[in-house]
Amino acid sequence: MSRANTTSKPARGFRVPGLSLRRREAIEAWLMTSPTIIGFAIFFLGPLIAVMVYSMAEWNLLSRKMTFVGLANYTDALTVNADFWQVMGNSVIFAAGLVPLNMALALALALCLSRPFFGVVFFRTIFFAPVVTSAVAWAIVWKFLLQGEAGAVNQMLASVGIDGPNWLREPDWAMAAVIVTRVIKMVGLNMILYIAALQTIPRDYEEAARLEGATHWQVFKMVIWPLLAPTTLIIMVITTIGSFKVFDHIYLMTGGGPENGTLVLAFYIYQQAFEFFEVGYASALAIIMFVIVLALTLVQFALRRKQVR
Amino acid sequence: MKTTLMSCAAACALALGAMGSATAEDLRFTVWTGNDAHLAMLNGIAESFTETHPDVTVSFETIPAGDYTQKLTFQIAGGNTPDLGWMFEDAAPAFIDAGVIENVGPALKAMDGYDFADFSAPAMKLWVDGDAVYGIPFSTSPFMIYYNKTMFDAAGLEDPLALAAKGEWDMDAFRAAAKTLAENGSWGFDFKDGEGYDSRILHALMPPIRAYGGYAWKDGDCGFDNPEAIEAVTVLHDMVFKDKSIVPPGESGDFFSGGSAMTINQISRASRLTDAGFEWGIAPLPTGPAGESPVIGQAGIVVFAEGDQKELATEFLAHMTNAQNVEIMAQFFPPARKSVLESGVLVEANERIPADQMENVADAIENGSVLPSSKNMPQILAALKPRSDALWRPDADVTKALGAICAAIQPQL
Repeated sequence: MSRANTTSKPARGFRVPGLSLRRREAIEAWLMTSPTIIGFAIFFLGPLIAVMVYSMAEWNLLSRKMTFVGLANYTDALTVNADFWQVMGNSVIFAAGLVPLNMALALALALCLSRPFFGVVFFRTIFFAPVVTSAVAWAIVWKFLLQGEAGAVNQMLASVGIDGPNWLREPDWAMAAVIVTRVIKMVGLNMILYIAALQTIPRDYEEAARLEGATHWQVFKMVIWPLLAPTTLIIMVITTIGSFKVFDHIYLMTGGGPENGTLVLAFYIYQQAFEFFEVGYASALAIIMFVIVLALTLVQFALRRKQVR
Repeated sequence: MKTTLMSCAAACALALGAMGSATAEDLRFTVWTGNDAHLAMLNGIAESFTETHPDVTVSFETIPAGDYTQKLTFQIAGGNTPDLGWMFEDAAPAFIDAGVIENVGPALKAMDGYDFADFSAPAMKLWVDGDAVYGIPFSTSPFMIYYNKTMFDAAGLEDPLALAAKGEWDMDAFRAAAKTLAENGSWGFDFKDGEGYDSRILHALMPPIRAYGGYAWKDGDCGFDNPEAIEAVTVLHDMVFKDKSIVPPGESGDFFSGGSAMTINQISRASRLTDAGFEWGIAPLPTGPAGESPVIGQAGIVVFAEGDQKELATEFLAHMTNAQNVEIMAQFFPPARKSVLESGVLVEANERIPADQMENVADAIENGSVLPSSKNMPQILAALKPRSDALWRPDADVTKALGAICAAIQPQL
């Protein structure tokens, strides 16, 4: 009886004479994962390897002359090209301005909007809406609002007696303007992450602290902030990586100006590849950016591991 | 089953055969216009080509002007090279230097009835290198001053056309008029397309620099820091920040919607004034210490070296730029053929611009010179832009800023 059952019902999956169950399972596993592996190889690994190869060549897209130059593109970027270090400095300033501002604002909004009250959904929607708004529309509208004397922002400032700067035309202000408008655009995403994290903190902890006589600030400092640490870490790393990869916002609002004051790495790579057609040099810069982002990701993993321990 | 398969195979063979013969006689031509009237005119010229080449189809492929050079480069790099294409004057030297443009000189010069010598030598300068000819200009369009006559009348000012007729339309008159108009509530002058501080820096700087006798670069020498250029740019700077008559950086004052009383542009922009709601006209650029110095923007037609049918493409180029078709194109694109310029066709060609104003256009084509260009144009513009930003600050030291421009672009010249 048991023998009849085994022959009429295969254990699972397909049966091929001569193939062991283990082998069949392995084939099944490969078949299941192959779409992802093929996609990864074609759309990530292949281009990554290609960019690595291109980065060691002098390749002009227009003339299509490709000459192997070894690490010359890297040494030129790191030791000869003064623009590169200005660009790196701009990228660091952008990240250093955007990340703390974004996180602080996101946390403040999350603390205000994590508890239910009448209209909370409306306010969450208002602050999240810019995240799903078209980046192009956002940048164009802000560019219009931040015009010199005729801009709406300066008109408002003038109404209270403040003579606003020409935001996007003065190097001292342009970086601040793009950072703030980027923060307003993206803060909703981090706010949602913080709200989700806050809602997982048991109310008992807070109530216990209050019974012990803790003030609002002490509850936040001693209870909520430590429990938010894993989320804060993830948000910090994601936002930092995103800030190093920013392109559309800069392209649309300032084009890297004025006086190269907002020329960040991703935009500089674009310029080299698609304006000067120097694909080899742009590839080397892209690899440098990849290494920076990879390093930030590894730091994230290391810090998380330390936290778990 | 067998019959069905054979039918399918026969159908495929026929289809492939048909496709093959169509492809063999199909020319792909990239342009940056999507304007229906322009495309209708171009298709008309292609249609007339079939009188001598009945099997040839020319398809015009529009690539937006802002992306044109970039996308064309990608098409060539990707092995999808068109047969012919329009080419901007600032992109031409880099394409010629890269060897992607065919030398059509021998073929055109040998063609019966083409009359290559009819093209004006100054207009051909950019496209000729010794005996080699890399393109034929189809649009040799000088920059003109567009003025809002309604605003001039309201301010009690003589308009630029009237002043030019009296020989009084110079940089001083231009500055004085712009200042008075600005005091009357509008901007006095807006740079080309409002982009004078960004993508049209050379269009903003070159007219006054040439009027003062200066130049951008010549034979590897940067001219931005020469006294003539410094004097010219100082006037512009003062107009922006002292007189407050030119739309400053970061502001908008579109001429075509009545935001500015004057702007600089080519005659093709007259199409934007069909329902302007104000009286307008065009006048020559103001003269300076160096006299009249018209500035010309140019575009040419080129045959690509890696196109599949270079010979046929060259024949179409010759057809498109023969005297008859140049006359047809003159309604939109000012020609470089002397016979057409002298025939008076251009003067009557544009229905929106009166003949007396078009005569100034024809004069400017004859006497003007094309905007500067270089095989390293993208690098020059990228190096120039940040230094030009420093120039357009209210407290900028113009001499120092122009010196910085020269220092930045000199390695690329």
